[in-house]
Amino acid sequence: MTRLTRKLALCFVCAAAVAALTAGCGSKPASEGGATSAPSIPVTRGGELLASIRTDPQTFNRYTQRDSSTLLVATLTQAPLVRLNRVTQEIEPWLAEKWSVSDHGQTFTLTLRRDVVFSDGHPFTADDVLFSFAAAYDDRTGGPLTDALKVAGKKLEVKATDPHTVVIRFPVPFAPGLRILDNLPILPRHTLEAAFNAGTFAKAWSTSTPPADLAGLGPFVLAEYTSGQRLVFTRNPRYFRRAPDGGPLPYLDRVTLDIIPDASAELLRLESGQLDSLTSEISSEAYAPIKRAADAGTVKLLDLGVSYNADALWFNLKPGALGNDPRAAWLQRDELRRAISMAVDRKVYADTVFLGAGVPVYGPETPANTEWFWNGPVTPYDPAGAKLFLTELGLEDRNHDGILEDKSGRPARFTVLTQKGRPNLERGAKVISDELKKVGLQVDVVTLDAGAIYAAVISAHYDAVFFNTDKTDSDPAINPDYWLSSGSAHFWNLEQKTPATEWERQLDALMAKQSASADHAERKRLYDEMQKIFAQHLPMLYFAAPRIYVAHSTRMTNLTPSVWRPQLLWSPDTIAVTSTARKN
Amino acid sequence: MNARLKGSRYSRLGFALVAIAFVAAVAAPGLAPHAIDDQFPGLLNAPPTLPHVQDDAGSWHAPFIYRWQLVNQLEQQYEADRSARVPLAWFSGGRLLGSTDDRRAPLLLLGADSFGRDVFSRLLFGARISLSLAAVAAIGAMLIGAGIGGIAGYAGGMTDDVLMRATDFVMVLPAMYVVLALRAVLPPVLAPAVVFSLLAGIFAVVGAPFIARGVRAIVRTERGLDYAAAAQALGASDARLLVRHLLPAAGGFIAVEMTLLVPAFIVAEATLSYVGLGFPDPVASWGTMLHDAANIRFADFPWLLSPAAAMFVVVLGLNLALERRASGIESLR
Repeated sequence: MTRLTRKLALCFVCAAAVAALTAGCGSKPASEGGATSAPSIPVTRGGELLASIRTDPQTFNRYTQRDSSTLLVATLTQAPLVRLNRVTQEIEPWLAEKWSVSDHGQTFTLTLRRDVVFSDGHPFTADDVLFSFAAAYDDRTGGPLTDALKVAGKKLEVKATDPHTVVIRFPVPFAPGLRILDNLPILPRHTLEAAFNAGTFAKAWSTSTPPADLAGLGPFVLAEYTSGQRLVFTRNPRYFRRAPDGGPLPYLDRVTLDIIPDASAELLRLESGQLDSLTSEISSEAYAPIKRAADAGTVKLLDLGVSYNADALWFNLKPGALGNDPRAAWLQRDELRRAISMAVDRKVYADTVFLGAGVPVYGPETPANTEWFWNGPVTPYDPAGAKLFLTELGLEDRNHDGILEDKSGRPARFTVLTQKGRPNLERGAKVISDELKKVGLQVDVVTLDAGAIYAAVISAHYDAVFFNTDKTDSDPAINPDYWLSSGSAHFWNLEQKTPATEWERQLDALMAKQSASADHAERKRLYDEMQKIFAQHLPMLYFAAPRIYVAHSTRMTNLTPSVWRPQLLWSPDTIAVTSTARKN
Repeated sequence: MNARLKGSRYSRLGFALVAIAFVAAVAAPGLAPHAIDDQFPGLLNAPPTLPHVQDDAGSWHAPFIYRWQLVNQLEQQYEADRSARVPLAWFSGGRLLGSTDDRRAPLLLLGADSFGRDVFSRLLFGARISLSLAAVAAIGAMLIGAGIGGIAGYAGGMTDDVLMRATDFVMVLPAMYVVLALRAVLPPVLAPAVVFSLLAGIFAVVGAPFIARGVRAIVRTERGLDYAAAAQALGASDARLLVRHLLPAAGGFIAVEMTLLVPAFIVAEATLSYVGLGFPDPVASWGTMLHDAANIRFADFPWLLSPAAAMFVVVLGLNLALERRASGIESLR
């Protein structure tokens, strides 16, 4: 399996594992049903938080996987050099307490915190940082970080000038700067170097590793893992961060993650007080019972605003992918996608899929991303206009059966693959199918496992896919894989050697410029230009983004909810619980 | 005597339940107020619109309904607009009963699903698919099972061994995995008729061994009886002896087995559709309806469980009907 296939597999598996769907991020947290955010009451130390995850982590080695459970384990047990604050979207000093910039913004000199030790008592130094970069960049690791830590396809140069100073040089100017390091948890060299040297780093820290053999710089340490049941984390007494009152962090003594595959069971446990928190947002269908529970005072319900992400429909635009299929004459044309964009009533989509709790979306950025959203022209719901585009493609209802046919009489019919077991996708695909039927396009929706969809996309054996393609950051420069024609998340035509179209060539050039520019206004102008080109060709079609709602028990305090997943647990060291007993 | 009378009543009840279900399925186009894919966008998961004959003032009217008004979309709360009655129309548009204002106030006897489709209409049309599939599969299982069992019991020897080992092999196969594997090698898009044939064929093959084993034992026993020897002595061919004389002796057994297989196949279709291996949208079967409702909290929208209730009624009816047949066979023994 190539790196590309591995990466795409990880992307799909990640999305599959998170059955709660449409990842979120968003605007400022609003509250509802008695929400808490800032600490208005004294924070209680100690106690246990019981949260749920849907699937087992695939590994304890964050460098090799990025499924949501593995990410959460890393958030609890590891620490990066700098942290992206999910609420403010600003980077914060973390293991690096400060840094300076030189060389026209290409070189960063980071000063590491002193007196920081791993959970096993071993001191943390610059050697651990060098080791972590080496492990992430090693081809044998082959994980999601290998490409994510590259800029313009090149590695960062990292060197240590002393045990507490690290110099990082970017190969080209890179506007987001150290923001890219939020993804990289620093691993203990003393524990993993032997595996790295032996070429077995990718297999190190599998889920069969005894918890005592793991070491980290995060607020918690893994104490117990029972496959299919739970993970238990206890407080790391050597954690480096201190609370505002000078006391130790984390506040909690213990975090338990129960593995509950079924969404309904998860919600019932939350409602009955047997669970403190879910690790992702609640679905639209779950809103009503959770709202009732919130009104009754048994849970708290938060409205975190509109998601940064929306489900997307894309067609297979790889040249020649359809072979001799006569549908190639219209299936890969811009006019078809324009027609679809006009034929789908986005209000109906939002009402049906998100029960009204969603906003229409016309491009890759949702209105939640106020910094980068391009407020361009809105595509009207116009079935008549859509039919004109279809007529331009030679699709007409020649036999008056309500379905369009091409010039040779073949029906205008295509298959949309979507993921099985994800209600938003299944319902969204059904809405699209119903809407397109009104203009004479026949859509066959096929639900498959994420792995099967990934295989179809890799091999370019598909007509169209409807899927959630989560961004990992609000800054477009952090998502080059999506925008660049060579990118492994350039879903409609993956990893092109040279841009297949002129407009993709333009996107590549604009992407390189905007990610290198130090002038934010110029970056915005360039990114607007990119979104404009995107809107002209619509390689991916977006219809609506949901509002993100999360729920938690009344015991949880001192929360800083974010629209990014995990909305509540992204900052685990400052979460506290009251002394109120939880039901068992 | 009392027990027999009671058993007879239960049996009649069982037949009545099954008959109602089959009649409803056959008459679905006339009984259903809507087509299976009629959608009412403002009525997602709307509760049932119950017909009334008396308004809030106590006045009596011809049957009418109140229109649902959406109070809270996200919480899916509806309130009846009691300010205006919407009369029901009988025998209008080729249907038994419907609303006179289908656009604003459709008749939803069992509420609407999460796409705003009438659950009652889909339940009736779904009965056609679910019941006919089960019936066709049971007939297929009977033909295959009786054929294999009859030949094995009649021929004996190596033929018997080979056929019985083959049925043993099918019986120990995990049916669900077989279906999953078969489905995986087929094209992702299949026409409903192909899905119907495929499922019926698989169910028939999976169900046939249960009939074959019993038929084989009966034929083997009967073949040694005097009437069989007499028929053979009078020149009856092997085929005639088997089909005209021996297999009829297994008629009671086959009837009982088929009555057991039909509910099993109804449940099997629902199971396969529930896991997404059933009929494509918008075709309604009881299983696809349950699949569509899989992510809904049934406590909030209990009408979405109506396919399960229908399955319960039909399976109960078949079992009650079977009760008498089984006790009849028992008394014969």
